[in-house]
Amino acid sequence: MKRDIPDLAGGAILAAIGLFIVIYAAVHYDMGSVRRMGPGFFPAMLGGVLAVLGLVIAVPAWMRAGQETPIAWKDALAVLVALLVFAAGVERGGLVPVTVATVLIASIAAPDRRLGWRVLLAVVVTLLSVLVFHYGLRMTVPLWPS
Amino acid sequence: MTISRRAALIGAAVLTFATPALAQDAAWPSKPLHTFVGFPAGSSPDLLARIVTDPLAATLGQPIVIENKPGAGGVIGIQQMLNAKDQDYTFGTTINGPMTTAPRLVPDLGYDVAADVAPVALIATSPLVLVVAADFVADDLAGFVTAAGAEPEVVSYGSVGKGSGAHLTAELFSDRAGVEMLHIPYTSYAEVTTAIIGHEIDSGFMAPSAAMQYVEAGTLKILGITSQVPFDQAPGVPVMAGQAGLPDDFRAELWNAFIAPAGTDEAIINKLNADINVILADPAVQKRLADMGWQVAGGTAAELQQRIVEDTEIWGAVLDRIDAKN
Amino acid sequence: MSGWEGFLHGLSVALQPEVLIYCVFGVVLGTFVGVLPGIGAMATISLLLPITYYLSPEAALIMLAGVYYGSQYGGAVASILLRLPGTPQSAVTTLDGYPLAQQGRAGVALFTSMTSSFLGSFFGICVLIVLSGFLSRAATAFGAADYAAMMILGLVAASTIGAKHPAKGLAMVVLGLILGCVGTDVNSGAQRFTFGQAELMDGVNLVALAMGLFGVAEVIANIQVAERTGVPRRIAMRDLLPRREELKRIPFPALRGASLGSFFGALPGTGSTISSFLAYATERRISRHPEKFGNGAVEGVAGPEAANNAAAISAFVPTLTLGIPGDPIMALMLGALVIHGVQPGPLMLEARPDMFWGLIASFGIGNLLLLILNLPLIGIWVSMLRIPFRWLYPAILIFVCLGVYSVRGAPFDIFAVALIGAIGYALSLARFNPALLLLGFVLGPLIETNLRRALLISRGDPMIFLERPISAAFVAAIAALILVSVVQSLRRVRPA
Repeated sequence: MKRDIPDLAGGAILAAIGLFIVIYAAVHYDMGSVRRMGPGFFPAMLGGVLAVLGLVIAVPAWMRAGQETPIAWKDALAVLVALLVFAAGVERGGLVPVTVATVLIASIAAPDRRLGWRVLLAVVVTLLSVLVFHYGLRMTVPLWPS
Repeated sequence: MTISRRAALIGAAVLTFATPALAQDAAWPSKPLHTFVGFPAGSSPDLLARIVTDPLAATLGQPIVIENKPGAGGVIGIQQMLNAKDQDYTFGTTINGPMTTAPRLVPDLGYDVAADVAPVALIATSPLVLVVAADFVADDLAGFVTAAGAEPEVVSYGSVGKGSGAHLTAELFSDRAGVEMLHIPYTSYAEVTTAIIGHEIDSGFMAPSAAMQYVEAGTLKILGITSQVPFDQAPGVPVMAGQAGLPDDFRAELWNAFIAPAGTDEAIINKLNADINVILADPAVQKRLADMGWQVAGGTAAELQQRIVEDTEIWGAVLDRIDAKN
Repeated sequence: MSGWEGFLHGLSVALQPEVLIYCVFGVVLGTFVGVLPGIGAMATISLLLPITYYLSPEAALIMLAGVYYGSQYGGAVASILLRLPGTPQSAVTTLDGYPLAQQGRAGVALFTSMTSSFLGSFFGICVLIVLSGFLSRAATAFGAADYAAMMILGLVAASTIGAKHPAKGLAMVVLGLILGCVGTDVNSGAQRFTFGQAELMDGVNLVALAMGLFGVAEVIANIQVAERTGVPRRIAMRDLLPRREELKRIPFPALRGASLGSFFGALPGTGSTISSFLAYATERRISRHPEKFGNGAVEGVAGPEAANNAAAISAFVPTLTLGIPGDPIMALMLGALVIHGVQPGPLMLEARPDMFWGLIASFGIGNLLLLILNLPLIGIWVSMLRIPFRWLYPAILIFVCLGVYSVRGAPFDIFAVALIGAIGYALSLARFNPALLLLGFVLGPLIETNLRRALLISRGDPMIFLERPISAAFVAAIAALILVSVVQSLRRVRPA
């Protein structure tokens, strides 16, 4: 049994999103008339088109073989957690500790297992971002936690 | 308990109440102030804030950091000011929308104007002018009202979106003049003027500064202004109030004010109000604001408070009318 | 004043030593901030704004404009080397520039992008000299129906970019259009798909979207891959510069792109986005080897780069004569003018020829400077790729975060980058083209508002799209394009 999993999943998810948009727009927003289109008209129409396109992508994929696509779960997780830490901490935690933390978390994904270069990298990147953003661009972000 | 002892006790109580304020008065400000502006750097409300805060920082002897937090028509700026939690050192400037109509237009506003925001001082006001193409059939307001009254929605007007000053002013005008106009929303005044010149729409309310060049170039004409008195930046433009069936108290103005989070020390608010009024009396400041189409206002914090209540009521009624129509 | 006289007058303004110094400063600064992902011109110009108070208005505007187009050169470097486009225009550049870089031919891509940018701006200036009067009238001739039809044409033409899987390309455009719906509906004031977040009231942040879809997704996909394959340690000089037959493939695409850019740029709004995509689609359509596009075709870099630079120049016409800025950066520059008491408007061309033509002339000078400055730097930029990726990517992430934050100071936008990055990675796994999503996102709100506006103005009569000559012409072009595609795909099916 061979299937084109990326297209199958991609198409199915798009179709689901399209359907969700149609229903959400229909429930929450006014459709209006041709003369006075309501706020729901355009998104509902687009959602319908997306649902159809999703099926057009997914259905043939059910019947054909696709390329194997490895997913870098660990890398994705490290990068996303690093971004979330930065987003959560930037205004209260201060630029310096947050940058160090973000770099260290992101670098977990790297294939080089040693620690030394990570610390060095964190120091260099922090220095650079403080220089460029705090002193260079005068961004109003505190350097240290208040 | 003798009378004198009681007096001494009351005196002590008064002192204990008064001392913190006085002590803070002497020490304040001991570090930089932050002023939140709900519009991006370089925008008109941002420039206005800087015109006021530059001399204010000099008076206070501490820098004032402008925090541009644009979004949602200025609402984000107020939300961020209320989130900052650095009491007595966090302030904001805002246009009228987030203080008057936003509670009606923005679900999940996240703040209550009366309970969460303390007015400090009205900085400036800006009237709007009614603009039509140079070759429009009417030359004055009476002619415009006649043309617009001929048939519902025969005359159209542009605004910068639902609930914008231009939209509400036009609806207030239609209501008072007894006409029905077709509303076409745009996203900027520049688009509205372009559409009027291109004869895509008939009219629009906008800031005088947005229209004056086109009047000089001979492509637009102005039929009236929404302030109670003539405006220096729109020379020769008649006041609308009392004309073409409009009531004498007809007035529609945008404004810009200095505000603080509720709970800010009363003494600090009073000091800032006094300092801002001194700055606004400076002719150089007045000229810079006038060049941008603003008329200096000033006054007490209580007067600003009253303005907020009045405008909330006026525009609330207009919003009721708009909602009833749809 | 005729265009030619105006331009000569402008040269005399722009070549004054103190103005020239600020022009040089602007383009150099612009190049460097442009290379940093996500930051670009926006934060830099906001920072420089208070400083311009002490300059003459001409020097101020010329310096800020220098930062603006200098950052486009720098932005092309980030797009080609790291697939980090900050704008939809540079997203088009990544389509073929990044594959070239992966083949170890980053130097060729950079050379092509820089020379085409220069050719594009040079062409744009020539067009402006001849047609400035015409261009300043074009914008008022365009009504809502015309804009709607024009943008739909742009979408239809661009959808063919992903021609191997038309449904997948189209799905990305539609997904982009839906994302563009997020925020306050201009007509009704309704909050669409904001889920109670005030930060979403003005829509999804474009920079966050671009950085998440391209930058973050690319980082995730490359952490393991880049370490294994990497880029050749030694890059020979002859790989930096294009081969002779590649050189020949630059001028004509650049000229075609520049013509498209000059025309569409004069229409306020998103002229330069549409023209980049149209230039790419055009090159792909007329090429004898359309299969090379997306795998490192020099024409795919030359056309769009020339188009967006030409468009950047003609875009100053509506910006200065109508006060309609094409993007937030242009809006900032208008703010700079207002600080100096210069109100953009119809009198600008006659009343402030120093300003208008000085700026246009400075474009010519600045672009020449950028070319001279950047060609020798190609070697240095390319050697950046020799830094091991594990050193590079955490730094990229930090710069993306700070760059996105600098746009409007909202941590919300960094959360958005993380979410969009995850989506972007998923899309890249399933081989969807994120550039088309970005196009749909930018054009969506414009198509919707113009469509609804046109029908309001016509009081509900859809014939407005055929009655207006400009709109009718676009509708005819759309019909022709769809017909051609259908015929082509039928022909492809039959002979098999």
